[in-house]
Amino acid sequence: MNELPHLANIFDRLKRGCHLGPDDEPEFSALSARPKEYAGYFAGIGLTLVHHERDFFYFEPDNPEAVPDTLPRIAVFSYIIIDHAANQGRPIEEFIFGQNFLVTNLPHFSLDRYSALMRQVDVHDFGDLRALLNRMEQIGWVKVKGLGEDEFRFLRPFHRVFSKCLELAQPPEITQANASQPVET
Amino acid sequence: MKVNPQSFFNFCANHATLLRSLADHGGEISEADAMRLIRANPSTVEELPETAWRRLCELQILIPTEPGSEVFLMADPVARLLTYLFNEANPATPEMIRGYVLSLETTGKRLARALDEENVQQVKLAFEEVGLALRRIHADLNETQHAILAEVARYKTERSRVTVREKYRRIVHWMERYVEPMIDIVRADGPLRAAFDETERLLQRAREDALFNDHPALARNLRFLRLVGVHALRVFTQCRKEIQPLYESLRRSSFIAEGAARALEKLQAEGLSKWGNEHLIGISVWRFQNVPGDAAISLALRRVIEHPPEPPPVLEFAAEREDPGELVRLMWLDSLSELVREELPVEDLMGWLLKKYPARNTADVLAGFSGLVFHRDFQATFTDKKLIAYQTTDGEIEASPLILTST
Repeated sequence: MNELPHLANIFDRLKRGCHLGPDDEPEFSALSARPKEYAGYFAGIGLTLVHHERDFFYFEPDNPEAVPDTLPRIAVFSYIIIDHAANQGRPIEEFIFGQNFLVTNLPHFSLDRYSALMRQVDVHDFGDLRALLNRMEQIGWVKVKGLGEDEFRFLRPFHRVFSKCLELAQPPEITQANASQPVET
Repeated sequence: MKVNPQSFFNFCANHATLLRSLADHGGEISEADAMRLIRANPSTVEELPETAWRRLCELQILIPTEPGSEVFLMADPVARLLTYLFNEANPATPEMIRGYVLSLETTGKRLARALDEENVQQVKLAFEEVGLALRRIHADLNETQHAILAEVARYKTERSRVTVREKYRRIVHWMERYVEPMIDIVRADGPLRAAFDETERLLQRAREDALFNDHPALARNLRFLRLVGVHALRVFTQCRKEIQPLYESLRRSSFIAEGAARALEKLQAEGLSKWGNEHLIGISVWRFQNVPGDAAISLALRRVIEHPPEPPPVLEFAAEREDPGELVRLMWLDSLSELVREELPVEDLMGWLLKKYPARNTADVLAGFSGLVFHRDFQATFTDKKLIAYQTTDGEIEASPLILTST
């Protein structure tokens, strides 16, 4: 167990809510090479390492009583970009992952309805959006740094939002049946 | 009313783009909509829109949906001609193919009867009908494949603002209306194959019974029969392969869009407070509470390291001892407040204590002093008078006098 490579880095990032995907090297390769061993190690200290079906890793979240403010913001931001993508008529995953986005071109303030939804989570302008994107970068859902000015792209762990949408689209009884079956390594 | 072919084709030659637009429009069209299309697609010759509209009706390109109706349809023969000219295809419906199968079965029965009756004329007629049905099936299959492939290509390249969910509904329509039912008909154990097998058996019998002597034509029909059977299955299997990835992709996208829309609708309708955690995507974050910083940890360690060693306290359990020192001291401290109360105000508390209890050591004097200073019944006032050196039994305390009064 002590020979697991990059263990300290992996643990340090995962415990802060980060998702590790192919853009996170060398940690991702290390995890991908020995997922069961890492999962076993973390299980020993009470943490569940989830290996998502789209091939990225994260710690299974608790159900905290106090929800951090960023979670509703991230959720509303994500649902709006999906709603916008659906209105464009292109397959949503192709739309989300197939291009870089400019912050100022995001649809979140393009409709009154979207603006009102963003206001509900205290996101009022593009400055707030940038702050939100920085948080999303910290958890490994988008990449901001290293791209053009005001530019970002979505990373593979954004599939967690799609999984949530599919869950929400299902009838309640199916959702309940699936809720107890996380995709685990 | 017969339409003059010369006039018809002359009109068509001058209004090709208009005819294309009318064909693309499809379905029913009002006069107003037709006039808009006429204005948007002017003739190659100078002409009033009203004239073009009148000619469309006179030439029976557009016909009323019912006598006297103000809603029009493109006449079916014209629509088919345009489909042919513009290389577009209309898919055959499963009902059409079932109709052919039924037609083949009926023809087969007539052929069987003619063979039984050795009626050469009827055999010949039935043979021709079989050939015609096969040619129609073949042509319709090709047209269906063409239509489905064109539809798939259109989906992939279409940039119009049609929502994903709308596209999904359309592709589901194609899948459920054409591809899946058609595969049920044309598969190896389906009704088309059964009808073909029966027809082939009868054609073979006609050859064996020598009731039909055109052997090359017979062989051609048999070959065509087998070809159409294989072709039908291949066409629809290919169509399904083409359409399936699009169907899957749109199906997934449609569900994703539906989930997001439901979440947003609920937020919009009920507000954030009632939105609930089920719409959030949980993220594991360790929340640290009351965690000491590095400086605090260093200080605690330094205190432990630098603390002078001292023996553990020894408890006295002997019951016969009459004057337990700590208890006596505690009782003395407790009595001070009552004693000082009688002499308030005291101008110099430390001086008062040492005068009253000169045998007390420094620790006792300070304990008594602080007990009185912080006592809730008294008011202590610090002064900046000249420092006084107070002598105790084991040391000296230097301080300005402190005035104690009652509150």
